[in-house]
Amino acid sequence: MTCLDFRRLLLTGEPESALMRAHRQQCPACEAHAVEHALFERELGLGLSVPVPLGFEERLLDRLTVQGAPAQALPNPGRRRMLVVAATTVVTAGLGGMMWYRRDDPLAMDCIQFVMKEEAKSIMMGAMPRAEAVKALAEVVPLQRIEQIGQILHIGPCPFNGITAYHVVMSVMQEKITLLVMPGLMVSARKRAGHDGLHARVVPLRNGSVGMVGSNAGLLDNLAGVLRSQST
Amino acid sequence: MKEVDPNFESVARAHAGDLFRFAFWLTRDRQQAEDVVQEALLRGWRSYRGLREPGAAKAWLFSIVRNEFYRTISANARHAGHVDVADLEIADERPPAFGLEIRDALKTLPQTYAEPLALQVLGGFSCAEIAEMLETTEGAVMTRLTRARQTLKRLVSAPGARWSGGGLP
Repeated sequence: MTCLDFRRLLLTGEPESALMRAHRQQCPACEAHAVEHALFERELGLGLSVPVPLGFEERLLDRLTVQGAPAQALPNPGRRRMLVVAATTVVTAGLGGMMWYRRDDPLAMDCIQFVMKEEAKSIMMGAMPRAEAVKALAEVVPLQRIEQIGQILHIGPCPFNGITAYHVVMSVMQEKITLLVMPGLMVSARKRAGHDGLHARVVPLRNGSVGMVGSNAGLLDNLAGVLRSQST
Repeated sequence: MKEVDPNFESVARAHAGDLFRFAFWLTRDRQQAEDVVQEALLRGWRSYRGLREPGAAKAWLFSIVRNEFYRTISANARHAGHVDVADLEIADERPPAFGLEIRDALKTLPQTYAEPLALQVLGGFSCAEIAEMLETTEGAVMTRLTRARQTLKRLVSAPGARWSGGGLP
């Protein structure tokens, strides 16, 4: 495979093939191009992810219930009133619980802000040699463990929240994920946030924590579980 | 009130956001996108029981949204003169905090490029699946996707551009 073939295939957006991987691993220029392209893909995903109008899902389902299937007998008014009160209580409790569960944590939000504002600059600052990365990350999470969950595209030090963190850009199941490995920054429990199409999780580990940012919340939850289970 | 089939409801809920976004990039208008998805789901619900493979529900819903969009466009064209899909302009009044550059570029992308790109990025469909949905060949889809990305990269490239990629080694 030539560099031209590799770059043409990148532009199709199809998953990386074994041939492409082999070429990238032996061509530093295409490796750098792939990192830059991964950031372009992330911005593309965010650009396409226009905000969904508030209450959209509810309006959809309301419309279905009004115009959709054949009518069913309505319950009597007394029972209906009871059902309305019960449903309101359940919905209120559910929304309250959901809001509590989904509240944005400031540290997780900082991770998202980093990806939105600082990530490109951090990559431009340059990557660190592998041997140095192995040593730097060892106290929080061994590099080999990160490599087990996906393909590392970039790794380098970066200032974050008053400490030196380690910025890892990786591809996991075709998704671009950013990790911020934060030695010495201890958190008591898993943190979460979501903003503008990005989600963040912060996972407490032995001697620090790891922030993870990506557009797929479910994947982040799985990775958080994997990192936690591997650290214990 | 009528009950929504719980299976259909969960499928609709799971994909509502991406269906809206896909419809938005077809219509380039938030209100029209919402209308298209509502109509599409209404049609979808009525024929949901006929769906043989529940695993194919996502692709099926995206196809219904696409069909509904083209049905609406063709109805509008009949009533209000010809509407060129490629000329539709974005009416997204809420600029995002991030991705603004690329979103601006996306607004200028011809429909023939935007459609497969939205299906790939938002829907996660492969070139082969998109080819089936657009009733074209896989090669044609790959060409459109390549051109879409090349166009976007060129549009967001300023001097010292981030995504220009530089020359080959």
